[in-house]
Amino acid sequence: MANKTLLVAQREYLENIRTKTFWIGILAFPILIAISLGAGYVLAKLKQTQAYAVVDLGNSSADGGAASGLAERIEKQARSGDMAALARLLASDQELPGAMAEIAKDLGDQLAPLRGKAGDDPAVAPPEVPDDVREKLFERLQKLPADSLQRLMQEQQAMATAKRYQRRSLAELGLAELPPTEQQQRLGQMVQKGELFAYFVVGAAPNERLDDFRYVSNNFTDNSLRDWYGTAATKVVQRLRLAEAKIPASVAQRLREEVAFRAEKADKDGKTSVVTAADKGSGFAPMAFVYLLWIAVITAAQMLLTNTVEEKSNRIIEVLLSSVSPGQLMQGKIWGIGATGLTLTISWAVCALLGIWVAEWLLPGTDLTALAAAKDPLYLASFVVYFLLGYLLYAAILVGLGSVTNSLKEAQNLLQPVFVLLIIPLVSMMFIVQEPNGLVAKVLSYVPLFTPFIMMNRAGGPPEVYEYVITTLLLLASVWLAFRFAGKIFRVGVLMTGNPPKLKEILGWLRQS
Amino acid sequence: MEHALRLQSVTKRFGSFTAVDALSLEVPKGCIYGFLGQNGAGKTTTIRMVMSIFHPDSGTLSVLGHPDAAQVKDRLGYLPEEKGLYKKMKTAEIVAYFGKLKGMDRSTANLKAKELLTRYGLGDWLDKRCEAMSKGMGQKVQVLGTIIHEPELVILDEPFSGLDPVNRDLMRDLILDMKRQGRTVIFSTHGMEHAEQICDFVMMIHKSKLQFAGTLSQVKQGRDLGIQLDYDGDGSVLQRLPGALRVNDHGKHAEIFLRQGQDPQQALRWLIDHVVVKRFDYREPSLHEIFVRTVDEANQKLAAAGMER
Repeated sequence: MANKTLLVAQREYLENIRTKTFWIGILAFPILIAISLGAGYVLAKLKQTQAYAVVDLGNSSADGGAASGLAERIEKQARSGDMAALARLLASDQELPGAMAEIAKDLGDQLAPLRGKAGDDPAVAPPEVPDDVREKLFERLQKLPADSLQRLMQEQQAMATAKRYQRRSLAELGLAELPPTEQQQRLGQMVQKGELFAYFVVGAAPNERLDDFRYVSNNFTDNSLRDWYGTAATKVVQRLRLAEAKIPASVAQRLREEVAFRAEKADKDGKTSVVTAADKGSGFAPMAFVYLLWIAVITAAQMLLTNTVEEKSNRIIEVLLSSVSPGQLMQGKIWGIGATGLTLTISWAVCALLGIWVAEWLLPGTDLTALAAAKDPLYLASFVVYFLLGYLLYAAILVGLGSVTNSLKEAQNLLQPVFVLLIIPLVSMMFIVQEPNGLVAKVLSYVPLFTPFIMMNRAGGPPEVYEYVITTLLLLASVWLAFRFAGKIFRVGVLMTGNPPKLKEILGWLRQS
Repeated sequence: MEHALRLQSVTKRFGSFTAVDALSLEVPKGCIYGFLGQNGAGKTTTIRMVMSIFHPDSGTLSVLGHPDAAQVKDRLGYLPEEKGLYKKMKTAEIVAYFGKLKGMDRSTANLKAKELLTRYGLGDWLDKRCEAMSKGMGQKVQVLGTIIHEPELVILDEPFSGLDPVNRDLMRDLILDMKRQGRTVIFSTHGMEHAEQICDFVMMIHKSKLQFAGTLSQVKQGRDLGIQLDYDGDGSVLQRLPGALRVNDHGKHAEIFLRQGQDPQQALRWLIDHVVVKRFDYREPSLHEIFVRTVDEANQKLAAAGMER
């Protein structure tokens, strides 16, 4: 008898596997994810360069005071960023926080030319930092724990994007000889025509007042150029003012330092260690799994529903029922499509692992430890188990619903409440990742409809063993119950035509043995 | 005589509606048995009970000698009224699948499916998907799926509906072949001419109750003889035929029943005067007439019973 269930399951499986749509579905999901990941990167690359010009009001004033060449200084600051400053800092005799001291030690001799000359006198231009030192520094910074030096890394990113910003000199534009008001008028016209993205006006007396610093552009949404140039200008102006007040650079550095708590975790002996990117990743990995689980369960259950309704509407069901019992037919369908879903999810998992592997190979420098959780066999195994149990529960519900409807449209209407329920594990996802052992997480774990998603979600916690045991038992019991009920509804519903039965009638079927 | 199927006062209710009411019936082995009745009369429900898709509320069933039809499912073949196939499956696959569901082993079913399809003119379609076939071809494939496992009892629900004359003949030959091989065939139909041509036995069910059952001659025995008339001319005059009780006018053919004691010779004389008579036959009524009259009488009885109440 079980043989017939197997036959039905086998047919369902083969039929699904053989369709093109199935394979498109298998490939589409990872491709979509790869595209959405790559799209941000590509879009950023594709952004057009933004041309800008600078009118330096200070240059035109004859006195050539402190502000003379201000625009040039800002430009230099913006282009080289704080990486040079950091190199100088590392070369100085100051006491450095752990991670930075290590970098200083590693770079060793390369910093020598900078050493000792870390001038306190702002009037003397600091020594140039060689490009290779800057690049090494760059590399090292990327490997630092996520929290430390965050600000520096942000700046570093701003520098990387700086290639997008292209300065056009006034001479190049043929405006060098004109008076500033006329320069601005002409630049304004160029901005209006789109020949320039923007122009800056740098004030004449940055030590006294900053209200004549202006940014003129007709693009009101993309402020990145303004922020990038503004940050550099702020630093230059600060330096000028410090010099005026005769405050040494080292003092200023100390004054500007921010308190950044270093994130650490504690083990059972009370020892602490720095929180790495991988740690953070493993905290969030369950979310990815829950999302994948959700999609997999929904996809498979939907497949089953469509299949049941189609089979019912094309009347083949009666032929089948003359050979197999309704129970065999229902279970054959559920298992066959479950196997299809499992193939789908396993393919996705393999795609993900391959993707990580390829990424590690293509981008050897990047740190993918955050993705390590995806390779954890415990995660993968629990994923498969929760998929199966979750699928079986929803499958039983959907096959019961599907069997009483005559068209997909009717079925969709009946499905709506089920989907409303299914939103709960999605909206609570972020919350539960943050509080994996909180009250909400615990309570929701015991609702069988949510158990697979919530328990997967809590994996970072992790929950107590007894919780795993009880929730799984509850889930198994509900699967069993759902199968029984669905079987009774299926037996009667699948041959019904005409109006879908009323709830009262369905309850009547359930009472019949 | 051994029976392929025996029903004893079988009743099936759906809620307050009685679909089959105390039906008793015997289908001898090796015969062709026709189930007649209007749409919704209870034929399909009866068949579904035989196939153990439904279970009777009361009464007993014996299918191939077993009280539980589920036990002999593999020895039965069933073609439901609503015919459907898996559109994406290839014809040979689906026929073989039906065979496997009936317990045939894989290789035998695959071989047999190809052989049957080839024998019935679908050899070019073995590897084509069902969705590409016409309705008639699809129906043929389905019938082959019904008989691939060589069932002892075959039940066909409306096998002739939707078929063109060539395929109807093919279906008829198939049914006759099965009888020749010693199988029992039950089929339901609205086409009285089919029933009359090929059935050994017929039964009629109306509003869930059995009206009559037996061999064709048993059913016709004792019924009023009638005039079978082929004619040319204005058929409306036939209604004025003196002594006529009922006239079923089909335009070129008419079936006329006379009142008790009326002479068919006189009627013939009158007919010759009014229309061009091409054929005149005085004999037992057609199954069509019996069917229509049974429905009429049963409805009148029901109406009368309603009045009394």
